[in-house]
Amino acid sequence: MKKFRKVLSVLLVSAMAMSLVACGSSSDSDTSDKTESTSDANIGVFYYSYSDTYISSVRTALDSALEGAGIEFQDYDGNSNQTTQNEQIDTAISQGVTALIVNIVTSGSADASQAIIDKAETAGIPVIFFNRAVAPDGEDGDVLGSYDKCAFVGTDAPEAGHMQGQLIGDYLVKNFDTVDLNKDGSISYAMFKGQEGNVEAIYRTQYAVEDANKVLTEAGKPALVYFDSSNTDGYQVDQDGNWSATAANNYMVTNLAQYNESNGNMIELAICNNDGMAEGVVSALNDAGYNTGSGKMIPVFGVDATDAAKSLIKAGKMVGTIKQDAEGMAACIAALAKNTVDNKDIMDGTDSYTISPDISNKIYIPYATYTGE
Amino acid sequence: MKPFANIQNQYADLKKMNSKEKLNFWKEFLIDNSLYILLFIAILYTYFQNHRFLSTSSVINMISLSAANLPIACGIAGTIVLTGTDLSAGRIVGLTACMSAASLQAVTYATKMFPNLPVVPIPLVILMVIVVGGIIGFLNGFCISRFKLHPFIVTLATQLVVYGSLLMFVMVNGNNGQPLSGLDDSYKKFISGSILKIKGVPIPNYVWYGIIVVAIMWFIWNKTTFGKNMFAVGSNAEAANVSGVNVARTTILVHTLAGCMYGITGFIEAARIGSNTANTGLNYELDAIAACVIGGVSFVGGTGKIRGIVMGVILLRIIFVALNFLSVNANMQYIIKGLIILVACAIDMRKYLVRK
Repeated sequence: MKKFRKVLSVLLVSAMAMSLVACGSSSDSDTSDKTESTSDANIGVFYYSYSDTYISSVRTALDSALEGAGIEFQDYDGNSNQTTQNEQIDTAISQGVTALIVNIVTSGSADASQAIIDKAETAGIPVIFFNRAVAPDGEDGDVLGSYDKCAFVGTDAPEAGHMQGQLIGDYLVKNFDTVDLNKDGSISYAMFKGQEGNVEAIYRTQYAVEDANKVLTEAGKPALVYFDSSNTDGYQVDQDGNWSATAANNYMVTNLAQYNESNGNMIELAICNNDGMAEGVVSALNDAGYNTGSGKMIPVFGVDATDAAKSLIKAGKMVGTIKQDAEGMAACIAALAKNTVDNKDIMDGTDSYTISPDISNKIYIPYATYTGE
Repeated sequence: MKPFANIQNQYADLKKMNSKEKLNFWKEFLIDNSLYILLFIAILYTYFQNHRFLSTSSVINMISLSAANLPIACGIAGTIVLTGTDLSAGRIVGLTACMSAASLQAVTYATKMFPNLPVVPIPLVILMVIVVGGIIGFLNGFCISRFKLHPFIVTLATQLVVYGSLLMFVMVNGNNGQPLSGLDDSYKKFISGSILKIKGVPIPNYVWYGIIVVAIMWFIWNKTTFGKNMFAVGSNAEAANVSGVNVARTTILVHTLAGCMYGITGFIEAARIGSNTANTGLNYELDAIAACVIGGVSFVGGTGKIRGIVMGVILLRIIFVALNFLSVNANMQYIIKGLIILVACAIDMRKYLVRK
């Protein structure tokens, strides 16, 4: 036993050492390969979190787009921590990167993004922000205007909420009587918010309901009613801020324990900030015998159009989602990155994109509705 | 009949006391059981605010939410008994959940991770997650006992290693970090299907699995030499060593067993939630540790009962459900949960100091 342990510990240590050596040598050979094929351009790409589903698809698309353009780059995982990301940026700048591509952790904070712009300006290199907002809505012009070698590629945060609201409204106007299970003339809904203090979550939570109500009122139908009248928030939020299926699932099963058809107060509509949460809700409904593809269905709406959500929609277990175009965003970022490598203006050749009317270096990648058709 | 005899003895003792001692006895009784008394008041209060709180469906919901959290809590409790902790629990749950989901996706599912893989037989998958969890647990235990490292450090490190592997795993085969879902029906039925209904409300199968796990863990803790050794090592490792207990082997076994429990949790969670990403399992260990501590498994080491862990898990879940039934603001929920953990630990420590 003792000998065995000694042997095992030696093996363990040597395995660790081997893996370190292996990692070191492989990245060495990578760099040398790439430096031969391209100029001395080297871009640091900073993601807010590797664990985010949507960002993972952007990462895959952007990796291949940058590789395709022959640009050398390195990916970093901020692990949902702005301090970590800032330190990574400092390190990358000291290593001599020629441009920064930043998916900022603290979404919607002008201070955080200004700090990164200042770092880039001091080093004299361009910075491209993407996906997560660099400042509160309406104030991003100040941040983006403070440095000429910077740009933003993202989505218009309120747009997803507006589109989701419109989609829900249209669906309800068409199917009002089937959705209104207890026939009380109004539809009670549950809302699942991904995270407190995140602009995207806030707008989606707000506009999904407001816009749906607008459509309903225009069609002469009553507005939506939040299922729990004593909850003044009008939503249930993932307390860990992870937009997670688990949180939505736990809430929904708990809700269904008191709001169900036998009590005549069933939740008749579920609106989710993202598709992960929608999946959690569908799973909870499945357990209660709903949304199994046949029979009764509670309409569930999400945002992102992940593959999993698309399959649910096709199977008739979910109604619709709002597509965020990961490939489109990656292609646009790669084009801007290529500009920085070729020493062109950062916004060169971007006429085909939707550019913000007020801010010349802010590009919107439009959302699209997805209902399986 | 032992508990009954205990109560009789206590009652006899109580009768012998004079008034001052009696007062003291009741004071002690109230403080020692204050958590349960508070819980009782909380349940009554919630019930009077919202009568549906104690309806059949709501009670079954509380039981199922607790059952899902039992295996991980039972696993982590052993490491706390050894005066340690295990920070890698949540990530191991995440990894095993994703592995279970990947092996049991329906063959017809469009974005199946391994398109050519048939639906793996369920017993094989259970074996796989238990082995994977067990191996990581073994590594934890091995490093702790062999290199004399604090479990906090070791599991902090393995947690990162496991998370990294998990991130790689969800990226393989062009999955690109997309959620693993589209699980096979047999798997979903196995976990969240139901063979028993009470008043028309189905009891999900994973409740039974939770109960089985608790029964096995109770047996291991109370009826085996290994269980006795675990408490001996937890109370005083030196003394245990002198009296012939193999401390290193006990430590390794406790951690391996804990790892197996996380594997089972992962297997259940994958189907219960139905959508598995790299974030699955994040922070699960914190709730599990909180449940153990509330249930009287002390960080001082060497104390703890399976009964207490079950109570702790149920208490945390009842609080979650009650706060929702009362529509308490999310911000308040953090504060309430924090205070409960603090009060529970304070009471626990007080008992320990009195004993000393």
